[in-house]
Amino acid sequence: MRRTAPALLILLTAAAALALASPATAQAPAKVKVGVLKLTSSAPVFIGVEKGFFKEAGIEPELVFFQAAAPIATALAAGQLDVGATGLTAALYNIVLGGEQLWIVADKGREWPGYPLVAIVVQKELWDGGLRSIADLKGKRIGVTQLGSTFHYHIGNILEKNGLKLADVKIVPLQAMPATVEALKGKQVDAILVPQPFPGATEAQGFGKILAWAGDLYPWQIATIFYSKAFAADRGKAVTFMKGYVRASRYYYDAALVQKDGRVAVGPNYEEVVEITAKHTGARPELIRVGFPYQDRNGRLLVPDVERQMKWWVDNGFMKRVLPLDKIVDTTFLEEAVKQVGP
Amino acid sequence: MAVARVTVRHRAAFLVRREHPAVRALALVGLVVLWELFTRLGWVPALFLPSPLGVLAELGDMARSGQLFVHVAASLERLLAGFAIGAAAGVAVGVLVGFFSLAEALGQPLIAATFPIPKIALLPLLILWLGIGEMSKVTVIALGVFFPMAINTATGVREADPLLLRAAVSFGAKRWSVIRKVIVPSALPMVFAGLKLGAGTALLLLVAAEMIGADSGIGFLVLQAGNLMETTKLMVGIVILSLLGVLSHWGLTRLERAVIPWRHT
Repeated sequence: MRRTAPALLILLTAAAALALASPATAQAPAKVKVGVLKLTSSAPVFIGVEKGFFKEAGIEPELVFFQAAAPIATALAAGQLDVGATGLTAALYNIVLGGEQLWIVADKGREWPGYPLVAIVVQKELWDGGLRSIADLKGKRIGVTQLGSTFHYHIGNILEKNGLKLADVKIVPLQAMPATVEALKGKQVDAILVPQPFPGATEAQGFGKILAWAGDLYPWQIATIFYSKAFAADRGKAVTFMKGYVRASRYYYDAALVQKDGRVAVGPNYEEVVEITAKHTGARPELIRVGFPYQDRNGRLLVPDVERQMKWWVDNGFMKRVLPLDKIVDTTFLEEAVKQVGP
Repeated sequence: MAVARVTVRHRAAFLVRREHPAVRALALVGLVVLWELFTRLGWVPALFLPSPLGVLAELGDMARSGQLFVHVAASLERLLAGFAIGAAAGVAVGVLVGFFSLAEALGQPLIAATFPIPKIALLPLLILWLGIGEMSKVTVIALGVFFPMAINTATGVREADPLLLRAAVSFGAKRWSVIRKVIVPSALPMVFAGLKLGAGTALLLLVAAEMIGADSGIGFLVLQAGNLMETTKLMVGIVILSLLGVLSHWGLTRLERAVIPWRHT
């Protein structure tokens, strides 16, 4: 990531020169670099781009794609991004602990019962051999992207809820999601945690079996929108971005998340949302239709969960101490945007 | 008759290489002091470049909690096992290839074909063959050490002074006696050069191997710290790697002086 800095600098200088050369043009929409993963859970951001919600608010978002969540936080701290839209990792907390300010500002996906997001996928052979419960995972090798990732946190909490400890399994970090899937295929790990649309793909190819959707076992605030220090300081722009996001979030919620009789009902714009998500993730639409992750209709955060997460990282030795919530969470951008957008 | 004493200027003085011990020490100390100063003044954020004192404090913390020794011990075990196996096999093959023409005809093309492969590229394959555990890690280190050892030893054997060889034979030495008493000793300097090369390669491969599916070792420590953005811990890992490199070089130099006393008078 850091290697791109000089190139970025040249681009920015060129852009600045161009901007100076043409002073009389109408006020262009503010360019905002948004770091995302190619996952179903990024759907609200994709909708905001495709449906023009950001543009209408006066923001021109530029999506920058990453392979894992933690590098997005690093790029944000290094000033290469304005906004991050991804999972909450120990890396993010440690960056703030290390003195580089980032702000968690809005909900971008929760692990929620009944809404598939991350699945625990086991080897088909183990499933056929009778592996059916979390307790059966004892002593197994479990592949995740990185240590300190959302998957690491999630499996740890699920194990604890089922009377096991993190130390009862062997966590194998494989750095990227495709590598995690490959490791299951190559039988180098017994189980993996991967988000939509990967779990369906492993079943379709016949080497994996979904043991459980992790959100059914342990709900939490997995993904958020976060701002770089500089972007948050530009209050007007920061609220404007949120205005676009709130509209995108409502569009997403109404299309894909409304429940009827305990089941997800297909909303009016469902097919459109599937199409947009398929386009940006590169996954086939039928895999996208497996399900969309839950999030608040207005993008409101589960603030206490952020503190619970930090406590767990500290208890398990991945973080030195818990940060005060007001040093890392700022929901005022969202609340102001909700007020401005109206009901 | 009085002898006039004339002072002659040492005209080759500029060719004399002096040690400058003070400058050597100053270079290292200066770098560390400058580094500390930079971070103290806030010119670089501590997250991106932790200060030397911070690194030292973290090193102390990790030593007290014992996790430092777990990682160092795991790495040393892999390093020593891989190095010993690779060096022993390298010397054996090197002597054979250097001495026996049949072994050379057989070994030379094989070594020439396999030597240029970057051993890191073999790591995924080794993991498939040997599993994700210790075997694949030790093997890749052994492979990395084997080639410089074999090539250097073979060269050393071939460079044995023909005069000495003939002298030994004319005094009635048999084949094995010649190998043992003339060829191997004269190849020793090249063997040690190979050992030093191999030590560097071994360290490189150790870190690469420990970054894939390990749960201990310095490579793992560096990877984990990077994943978690604990940059001070990451720097501790790097400092330990640097120390390991310096120590292994120093140890091999000491051993070289003990084994080949005639080379350093």
